Amino acid sequence: MLATASELVDLVARTARRDRTAFAALYGATSAKLFGIVHRILQRREVAEEVLQEVYVTIWERAGDFDPARASPITWMATIARNRALDQARRRSHVPLDEAPEALQVASEDKSPLDAALVSDDYRRLLDCLEGLDAERKQMVLLAYRDGLSREALAQRFAKPVATVKTWLHRSLIQLRQCLGA
Amino acid sequence: MTEREDIDALAAEYVLGTLDAGERAAVAARMRREPALATAIAGWERRLSPLLTAIAPLQPPAGLLARIEAAIDERERAPASASPGGPGVVELQRRLSRWRGAAVAASALAASLALFVGYREWRALSEPANFVGVFQKDDVSPAFLLAVDLKTRQLTIRRISAEPQPGKAYQLWIASARTAGRPESLGLIGDREHKVDLARRDFDPAILQTATFGVSLEPAGGSPTGQPSPGALHTKLMPALP
Repeated sequence: MLATASELVDLVARTARRDRTAFAALYGATSAKLFGIVHRILQRREVAEEVLQEVYVTIWERAGDFDPARASPITWMATIARNRALDQARRRSHVPLDEAPEALQVASEDKSPLDAALVSDDYRRLLDCLEGLDAERKQMVLLAYRDGLSREALAQRFAKPVATVKTWLHRSLIQLRQCLGA
Repeated sequence: MTEREDIDALAAEYVLGTLDAGERAAVAARMRREPALATAIAGWERRLSPLLTAIAPLQPPAGLLARIEAAIDERERAPASASPGGPGVVELQRRLSRWRGAAVAASALAASLALFVGYREWRALSEPANFVGVFQKDDVSPAFLLAVDLKTRQLTIRRISAEPQPGKAYQLWIASARTAGRPESLGLIGDREHKVDLARRDFDPAILQTATFGVSLEPAGGSPTGQPSPGALHTKLMPALP
């Protein structure tokens, strides 16, 4: 079910007023996107499902806090999803599967209006700025953000000490901020 | 580095995702009290979130919305209160939830359950905890009462009507997202109250709210297999009486 950004704003607002039908519609419009984000980080189906459940319960509880002036609804929801997935991934008890995620996935051809809310100039500008980083550092940033790799996992992956990973990421982020100009 | 740069660097690493569990928890707590940190985090989320575009959507399982709505129902429903003015049956709705590895079946517990729990006893157990769970064989026979204070993450469980079984012990379990639903033991429930410090065991409130708790009847030293024996009773947390 596709939904525009303004439709999502309306669904979130109605969810805040405890409209269950609107909440179900919100779920229908966004759950695949959020599940993709969560599963990419956690890689284990069952854990990802439990986390996604918690994410939507949180969305239900916090719908009243959403401010459309601050962020788009999908970004707001995706942030909740990412944070919850990362909290789970960083637990000592979480064991990720030993798979190599693709470094840079090409965006799907049929760009839904949902993605349009995330994309546009911001995405192009960010990709351009990422190109300004060394190839390895760009990889590190992407693996950290999209795949949720920890410093230790990145250190192993790039055969560098954890301290170096920290420094590289720190410098890369500063460079990105300067490039983005805001 | 100036303090502002420190805050920005911390915010950037938080949003990027590379902080460890302790650092993440610290930032999450600070964010509520420090507007500068919250603003820095919002800035980094704005900068990096376009990367989420390239993540392929993935269809979640068909039953998930129903589970979400059930979790919300439990959160929103308050248990019906008993008639005031004396002890009586406290009727509580119970919601079946997934319980991996143990069939919910008639068990040795059934034979020993009495019918009533006093309203006062219920109130005494559920204060100051803000969430409770009831282990019932059927609608009128609570075997155990569970209370969890989500702020301090202290759990208390008390045997109410379940009779002690010679040569056997009741064991408390939790099945949650952090072990993908596989039950973890929370210890043996003795004759008096059994308390568990869930904070020490690294359970966070969000996990507890959607976790399933179970009580099984085991040999005297606890489950020999490390997993609950069949016939366990289970419950999830719901808001306590106001």
